[in-house]
Formats: sequence, structure tokens, C-alpha cells
Amino acid sequence: MAASSSNSPEAEATPPPWEELPREITAAILRRLGTVEMVTTAQNVCTTWRSVCRNPSMWQCIDMRSITYEAPPNSEMVCYDAVDWSNGELTDIRIDFFGTDDLLLYISERSSQLRSLRLVYCTHITHEGIMEAVKYLPLLEELVIHCIYLSAKAIETIGRSCPLLKSFNYNGHWSKYMVSNLEAQAIAKNMPALRHLQLFGNKMGNEGVHAILEGCPNLESLDLRKCFHVRLSGDLGKLCSERIRDLKLPNESTDDVYQFAVTGTSGYATSHSDDETSDDDYVKEKITRKQRNRKTKKQKQKKNNKRMFD
Amino acid sequence: MAAETGTPTTLTLKSNDDELFSVAESAAILSVTIRNMVEDGCAGGVIPLDNVDGKTLASVITYMNGISAIPADEEKKKSYRDKFLSDKDFETLADMVLAANYLNMSCLMDAVSAKIAQVMEKKSVGWVRRKFGIENDYTPEEEAAVKEEHKWTFEGVETDDDN
Repeated sequence: MAASSSNSPEAEATPPPWEELPREITAAILRRLGTVEMVTTAQNVCTTWRSVCRNPSMWQCIDMRSITYEAPPNSEMVCYDAVDWSNGELTDIRIDFFGTDDLLLYISERSSQLRSLRLVYCTHITHEGIMEAVKYLPLLEELVIHCIYLSAKAIETIGRSCPLLKSFNYNGHWSKYMVSNLEAQAIAKNMPALRHLQLFGNKMGNEGVHAILEGCPNLESLDLRKCFHVRLSGDLGKLCSERIRDLKLPNESTDDVYQFAVTGTSGYATSHSDDETSDDDYVKEKITRKQRNRKTKKQKQKKNNKRMFD
Repeated sequence: MAAETGTPTTLTLKSNDDELFSVAESAAILSVTIRNMVEDGCAGGVIPLDNVDGKTLASVITYMNGISAIPADEEKKKSYRDKFLSDKDFETLADMVLAANYLNMSCLMDAVSAKIAQVMEKKSVGWVRRKFGIENDYTPEEEAAVKEEHKWTFEGVETDDDN
């Protein structure tokens, strides 16, 4: 079919009148292209497409996710342009494998309508950068942060700056030798509106889970995968299963979640090693693991978990 | 309506080249345009669809019947849509996107738009112009300015000499 890899399109007797399509149809098609190709290809095809592409509504969602474990060339410049063209209407942005504190600040200063911010494997963005950026994002409802260390202070700043935050997803750095409830306590104290919390690989112990249950009364889902200092048996386990509709336990498989595949968290998790392995090693390990079907294991774990609560 | 009487109601749709098609109302109302006509009581006789030709309408009805037979399971619906579109050529996709838009069928519209967008993936500007039969209406000066403004955007895509 037309999407073949051939580099030269076959001759067409009567090409469809693509230029004359109603603008909303052209927009619906071009929006499907994704941010990078809207910037690099679509808008340069003709003046009609360019004018469709320059409508701020085309840039309300900037999705620069990568499934190739690296960002495409010029991602950062594409992102700056896309933010400019969104003209303050940006509501949803995801960037993978690139970005700096400067870019994040550029985005946040111009996007007071932002509802969802997802930073996956942006290793050049720091927690200071995030603390600065969130001050401009009072409407933020969803925050995903993978492979960036956040201090308790940063979590506090996020919570105070974004009072509407409903969903927080933070991938920590579990260590065999260290238990710390500071991050969990900062969440409990400063993010009372949370409904969904994913804290895989967090260093907290049972005390942290207690604090979260107390501080976040609206919590519907809690994902504690890879938090191996948490022991959800006895009263705490019972409390969790009563309070939380969708609970994921420390030993459950992470293969179902795309961002785990990108960050490769299960690499260190299944081996219970400490956190000395570099992030790149996680990725490599994850790629080799990707092929394995661990469904049976997951089912077994589910059964065990169920038994634990019975 | 069918749900109220318990007996399936059949609608007759007429394409702009005067072909008639019978289709179960429960499937046809996937189209908001048709649903509105039914709700307004205009569905007693033949429903004329002035912007869709017979060939395209036949295809859309196949889709309506196929997708409405699948129970509420988004994965299965998605795989049906993928399969349905997999053998459609580029010109058919153009007709389908116009029909889906006119009939106001968001799920088909989304799927066809995505399929058309897929054609452009990783292609150069020149390739897209040729494939879509679009004339380059930039003046040479504008084109030079576009290239200069975003010099870097012409890197990293499959290139050919016809930018």
C-alpha cells in the first residue's frame, strides 16, 4: 500500500485533491503526524498546509515520545518551535530522551494552561529546573517524571505550586541499603488532591505508605512496584486493599507499562541489586528482557497477592 | 427505534450516484449524521447521502456492520479497524476520509487520518508533494526563506532531490 518504504511514489493518474480538502480534515490528518514531522515536513509542503499547521490548536499536545531509546535529531529545536506556535494553548507535553532546564523553563513560562507534563529519561533536566518550572504551572493535573532525582523539597514545591495535581508518577532510585520516607512524607503533606500515584523503585518503607494513605484521602490507585522496603502484610496490607481500588505491589511485573520499557526499571528491580548500575545499563538490560513473556509469573504473583489479603 | 420495539429496523441509504443500500439502523447510527436524521424522524423513506459515492458507501457500510458486531472491547475494535484499512489504497483512503467527515463517524475518521498520516512518515517534503499531488506554491524567495529559517529541519529525514 501507499505506506510502503519505496522512496518514489508511483505515478497516479488522478491524484485526490488533497490541497482542496476542508481545513478541518487536513488538520485531522496532519495532527496525526506527531510533533516532529509536523514541524519538519508537513508545514513545508505548501502554503495551505503551512497555514493549517500554524494554528495554535495544532500544538495543544506536543508529543515527542521516543520508542527508539534516543531522541530524533534536532528534537530540542523542534520543541522550542512547537511551543512558540502553541501560543499559550499547550495543555499536554511529553518529551523523551532530551531537554534541559532552559527548555523546561521556556515551556512553562509560555504554557500556563498546561495540564499534563511528562518527562521521560530527560537526564539533563534537574530537580532545581523542575522546581523553577512548576511555579508557572498552576493548572497542572498530571506529572510524570522518570530518571530525574527529586528531593523532598522539590516534591514540596511541586505540591504547593500545582494544587490541582491528580496524578503523579515518579520513578525513584531504590537502594538495598537505604530506607527513606522523606519523599513519601513530602507527597503526603503537599499533594492532598492525588488520585493516582505511581512511585516505583522508591526507597520508602511501611511508614511512607502509612503517611500517603493518611495525606491523600482521594487516592484511587497506588503503584508500589519495586519499593522493596515496603512489606504489605498484616494491617497495612489490609488497609491498602480496603482503601485503594487499584493497588500494585512491590513484586508485580512492570512489563505492561511503556515508560518502564523506556527507563528499564525492571532491570535492577528483579535482581534486587543496589542502585549503582547506570541508567544506560537498565535500558540495555530491559531491551534484552523485553522478549521474555512473564505473564505466568505475573499471574502467580497476583495469586500470591490475593492470598496475602485473604 | 430498534431497541424500543425489539425488532431490528433497517434503513435505506442512497449514495450520490443513486445506489441504494440496506443497513441495520443499529449499525448505521454509528454515523452521527445519520443518527440525527433518524432522531429527527427523517428516516422513514430513503436517506440521501449527497456527498458519498456508491463505492465508498458500500465500504463504509461494511465497516459499520463489522465494527458494530464487535462487543465493547476497544482492542478488538482497533484490530478490526486496522484490518479493514489494511487493503485500502491511497485514493480510497482519500474518499474514506471525506465520507467519514461528512457522516461524522469519529472512530473511522481517526483511523483513516492516522493511516494517511502514516504515508508521510519519515518522508521528505518533495516526496510528500508528489505523493499527494500538491504543487509547491511557495515562491522561490519564500522557499529559500523557509529553508533558511529551519535549516535543521531538512536534516534527518529521507531525502530526495525534489525538495
